[in-house]
Amino acid sequence: MDAFLAAGAAFLDPYLIGLVLVGTLGGVMVGAMPGLSSTMATALLLPFTLTMEPIPAIALLSALYCAGTYGGSITAILVNAPGAPPAAATAFDGYPLAQQGRAGLALGMAAVSSVIGGIFSVIVLIVAAPLLARVAYDFGPPEYFALALFGLSMLATISGESAIKNLIGGAFGVLLATVGMDFTTGVDRFTFGFWELSEGIHFIPVMIGLFAGCEFLTQAGQLDRVKVRAVLDAVRLPSLDDFRKCASTILRSCGIGTFIGLLPAEGGTVAAMIGYNEAKRWAKDKSQFGKGDIRGIAGPETANNAATGAAMVPTLALGIPGSATTAIILGALLVHGLRPGPHLFTETPTLLYAIFLAMLLANLVFGVFGLIGAKLFARVTLIPITFLWPSVFVLACIGAYALEQSVLDVWIMVGAGLLGFVLKRYGFAAAPIIMGLILGELVENSLKQSLIIFDHEWLRFLERPIVVAFLALTLLSAVWPLVSVLRARRAAAAAAAE
Amino acid sequence: MGMSHGEGRAVMPAARLPRDLIVALAILAFCAVAYAITLGFAKAPAAVAQNVQPATFPRLVIGVIAVLSAVLAAMSFRVDSARKGPVRPMVPVTAAMMVAFVIAFDTLGFIAAMVLFAAAMPVLWGERRWARVGAFAALFPAAIYVVFVLGLGVHFDAGLLGIN
Repeated sequence: MDAFLAAGAAFLDPYLIGLVLVGTLGGVMVGAMPGLSSTMATALLLPFTLTMEPIPAIALLSALYCAGTYGGSITAILVNAPGAPPAAATAFDGYPLAQQGRAGLALGMAAVSSVIGGIFSVIVLIVAAPLLARVAYDFGPPEYFALALFGLSMLATISGESAIKNLIGGAFGVLLATVGMDFTTGVDRFTFGFWELSEGIHFIPVMIGLFAGCEFLTQAGQLDRVKVRAVLDAVRLPSLDDFRKCASTILRSCGIGTFIGLLPAEGGTVAAMIGYNEAKRWAKDKSQFGKGDIRGIAGPETANNAATGAAMVPTLALGIPGSATTAIILGALLVHGLRPGPHLFTETPTLLYAIFLAMLLANLVFGVFGLIGAKLFARVTLIPITFLWPSVFVLACIGAYALEQSVLDVWIMVGAGLLGFVLKRYGFAAAPIIMGLILGELVENSLKQSLIIFDHEWLRFLERPIVVAFLALTLLSAVWPLVSVLRARRAAAAAAAE
Repeated sequence: MGMSHGEGRAVMPAARLPRDLIVALAILAFCAVAYAITLGFAKAPAAVAQNVQPATFPRLVIGVIAVLSAVLAAMSFRVDSARKGPVRPMVPVTAAMMVAFVIAFDTLGFIAAMVLFAAAMPVLWGERRWARVGAFAALFPAAIYVVFVLGLGVHFDAGLLGIN
């Protein structure tokens, strides 16, 4: 209670409220800009929060994260170009509604359902994170090793071209995390004579490169793309009838988004797709889906925002990121000298309550911003990309440089950007690599400690029930997508034969 | 979950090697090189290493990547990635500009590099509204200088031109 009051008192500080407002405003704007996601924005912003105290820094990033998830819906509806991947499903019905001259209704429903989903998930976060942390409090290195493996195996199920490629990307990230001095022996690994690499590859330049550098190159290949903007009528609150029509969809998507967000490595994009599919599946009249059904907006928008708070649960309680953006927030906690996991709840409860309050405030504020300023935010798409993306690249360079004031980090960022572009062309996503890079140290250290505890007898991992449970889940989550692909192929072949 | 797996995938044309097979072979080659590098890692005394030498974990991860790549190679004969269109010429040009910017950052200094980049990049991408290009090349670096150098205290080396 004292911690909650302390966090509440911290929120009386106009500076902190101002930061959350700025984070929310910035989040909606970057979310609205196609190509610029809240993940990229948090990655770019992270180095500049290093000079801040932990509470303002994490509150700012959390606000940006929440608002960015919503912001993508604005351009999905008005331009048919989702500002961020979680808003992709919103465009299916949002843009047809806008073309029918009902963009205001679509934006209004997107704002309201996002706020409902977001606030629901923050409440889940407040309730579930301490409970999960209490369970995890007794975890030893073997449990953490198995948990981290489970987190990495969940990469197989995140959206992307291929489950196997996601897993390879995750393992590659873990391998990148081994660059530098081995912490038990002091021996350099993969440093190639660069003493700067002895401390390891910092995840911030890699992350900025994989998201911002890679997107800069992607945009270079799309210079001739023309966006057609729908005319925007006044943004208005959905009517009672609209709500009645969407109530069950919103409720269902709150559950879907929260469940998906709680799973390590899953995030808003998967939640939104499932939210959309389920809204359609449960609808009695499906004929208007894809042509402008309001439930096609309420479903994904509630789900992707419900996933935001839920994704923070494993991030804060276990130190296992729930999504790509929470992986960056996890990194932010680490660079601020904090230890994500159960100890966070006993050592720095004020910070946790401040995060909860920041997310709650951000959810309320972006709803207001969305209803009042959607027309204005939609104008960010008018910024010429010939000026926007070179600016983003320069900011990416500064972000990479500012961390250690080292040009080597800028080279690493550019290298990661070039590599990310090549990998993307061959079906490898950036998020698994980042997850692997962040979880790599935990995997290696917990494995080494476990082996010492077990006197190098690997089978003793199986003596611990929690470890066995996580290993079983790991196997299931890694193999299931492969089985599904093969089953789908077999079914398609059988259908073709008929 | 995993709903998108298989999206954008195609059955490979009979005459071509599967695209994912080539990717898997490239990764296996990478694994071989990475494994060879681990052979050069110094060995730690047994008392310090506690039976886990510095190379053990990286080799384990390399092994996992190799096994996954073998699965990818095997699956590529059944399901292959869809081929993407050719890379537009502007992409390698932009990549070269990224590299050139960092070289200029390191040699000419950040401010000079930024002014040159802010002037050249929009033009390269087809911007022909010269007044806007000029304004961008002048105002964007100025804004960056005010925010990051004066505001946040980020120190950039002056470089050959001595501007910081």
